[in-house]
Amino acid sequence: MREGLFIAFSLFTIAAASGVVLSKNPVYSAFSLILSFFGLSGLYLLWGSTFMAMIQILIYTGAIVVLFVFVVMLLNLQVIRENSPNLLFVGVVSATVWFFSLIILRVLTRAIPTNVTEIPTNQLRTISKLLFTRYLWPFEVLSLFLLVMIVAIFAITRAQEISHGGEKV
Amino acid sequence: MEWTDLIVIAVKTAIIYLGMVQVVPIMLIVERRGAAFIQDRPGPNRVGPFGLFQPIADVIKMMMKEVISPRQVNKALYLLGPFLVLLPASLIVAALPFGDFFTLFDKSYMIQIANLDVGILYVLAIGSLGIYGILFGGWASNNKFSLIGAMRATSQIISYEIPLGLAACGAVLSYGSFSLREMVMAQEGTLLGALPHWGIFYQPLGFLLFFIAAFAETNRLPFDLPETEAELVAGFHTEYGPMDFGTFFMAEYMNMATMSALMVSIYFGGWHLPWISDATLLEGLGSRNLLALLQVLTVIVKISFFMLVFVWVRWTIPRFRFDQLMRLAWKNLIPLGLINLVITALIFYFKGAI
Amino acid sequence: MNFPLSMTYWSHFVVVAMFALGLLGFLLRKNTIVVLMSIELMLNAVNLLLIETSMRTHTSEGIILVVFVVTVAAAEVAVGLAIVLNLYRMKGSVNLDHFKSLQG
Repeated sequence: MREGLFIAFSLFTIAAASGVVLSKNPVYSAFSLILSFFGLSGLYLLWGSTFMAMIQILIYTGAIVVLFVFVVMLLNLQVIRENSPNLLFVGVVSATVWFFSLIILRVLTRAIPTNVTEIPTNQLRTISKLLFTRYLWPFEVLSLFLLVMIVAIFAITRAQEISHGGEKV
Repeated sequence: MEWTDLIVIAVKTAIIYLGMVQVVPIMLIVERRGAAFIQDRPGPNRVGPFGLFQPIADVIKMMMKEVISPRQVNKALYLLGPFLVLLPASLIVAALPFGDFFTLFDKSYMIQIANLDVGILYVLAIGSLGIYGILFGGWASNNKFSLIGAMRATSQIISYEIPLGLAACGAVLSYGSFSLREMVMAQEGTLLGALPHWGIFYQPLGFLLFFIAAFAETNRLPFDLPETEAELVAGFHTEYGPMDFGTFFMAEYMNMATMSALMVSIYFGGWHLPWISDATLLEGLGSRNLLALLQVLTVIVKISFFMLVFVWVRWTIPRFRFDQLMRLAWKNLIPLGLINLVITALIFYFKGAI
Repeated sequence: MNFPLSMTYWSHFVVVAMFALGLLGFLLRKNTIVVLMSIELMLNAVNLLLIETSMRTHTSEGIILVVFVVTVAAAEVAVGLAIVLNLYRMKGSVNLDHFKSLQG
């Protein structure tokens, strides 16, 4: 049952992800992106990480992809004519990625012991505790980073206005 | 799990969901009569006693109308739009607690479809998906008014999700749990001897933020900028035919009901009567199932109160301008939400959660 | 909780396939917005790997890393799309072939 669901979600995610890359219209790409994030969220659920599944939907599907769709619709783009891809190039890139990742993943699977005795009973509590103790500094740096990003976005989008004497768009 | 369990759970789920859907016809008549009451006119009173059969007439009208869809639309996304709005609104019902337990065949079952330990995250996550229906539907209609409505809806809902989330964070901090069920459990009994032990007395500012954001999230007046009839014809559903419009309509009322249920569960004690604890009630009533019935009735009464407030506000307060709406969210509500979060964190750091 | 080994294999399949798809989209597509989406695909492939490892070994480090990745990804998309909007304002297109004023 669980493994069947796993295979189904895996194939669904891959199909949706290929939809992102293959569809001509960016609106359909964004729609496929939503579907693939749902597939991933299902995989997280099956791995037992409810928290990350919810975060995946809340942040990726609920905020990030909305931004994509918003911009695509705001610009109302025509479909851009793509060069037909060089199949040799596609083949070489995919083969390289497959080869190296499979080696790395196999090493990873072997290197890490599969039965650690310490099992977190309440995952959320453990994560929150770690975030505010061992990973406090990265966490604080992250907040500073977000602030910098907000200022950067403001500077980028409002730069022209400011140079034109602050007229409103 | 035995097969009787499966049947009971399936029936329970169906009853809870269908009960939530009944909000739509009830609100149809309540909203029209409420508007009439506030505007000092009779309102629909011809169909049946006191106009009570008006919803049936409305639904029949919608069903019988000719289905028209414009030629220049993007067919797939146009048809998907209404369902993408209704689906999240329906899915949220799964996490809402309506009561404690009822017993059947010597087994107890929760009066809640699924008790998620990340309940409030689930509600926020699924609730944020409602935008896609509006966005895709409005874009696929191939109409400038629809597109502008969809754009407004998106920026509005994304902006107001932040104060909503901050208010929810405050609640999570004070209850020390993400589960809606545990939040309701914590609100039993009395506070300081006189007040009911409800979340609103721990999070007054949080409730205010949540309440304001709830209006924006459900696209209700005073924040119904996506469908302002004076500027945008009907906003994102301008090009939609009778039953597609009906689906958007249903989704709006379902959203209102789930938002009300959330406010009830987080801030107004859920299934608890004020002051009285469950143990006392159980002693008085003598039966678990009677208590469960009382709890469900309590939740229904509380939700109905908030639905009436939604109607009341709609016909009382004029519509905001779009820049005012954005200013309210980003310059007032979000700073207030952050302040609320910091104060809550400080208080509960020194005092411990409820 | 015990995880059958096939779940790990399927996860790795998804990770590798998504990463490859993202890389190909990043290298081949001409639409800047789709290129940004491909970056998201690659980031999510890595997220899946981190969560899978973290859950399989009962540790929390992977999940904390994912929390950071998600935050950075959100900020990256916001900045990227702001740049795309500005580029569109300047050039009237989001085709990557039109942005070559820095080419020698």
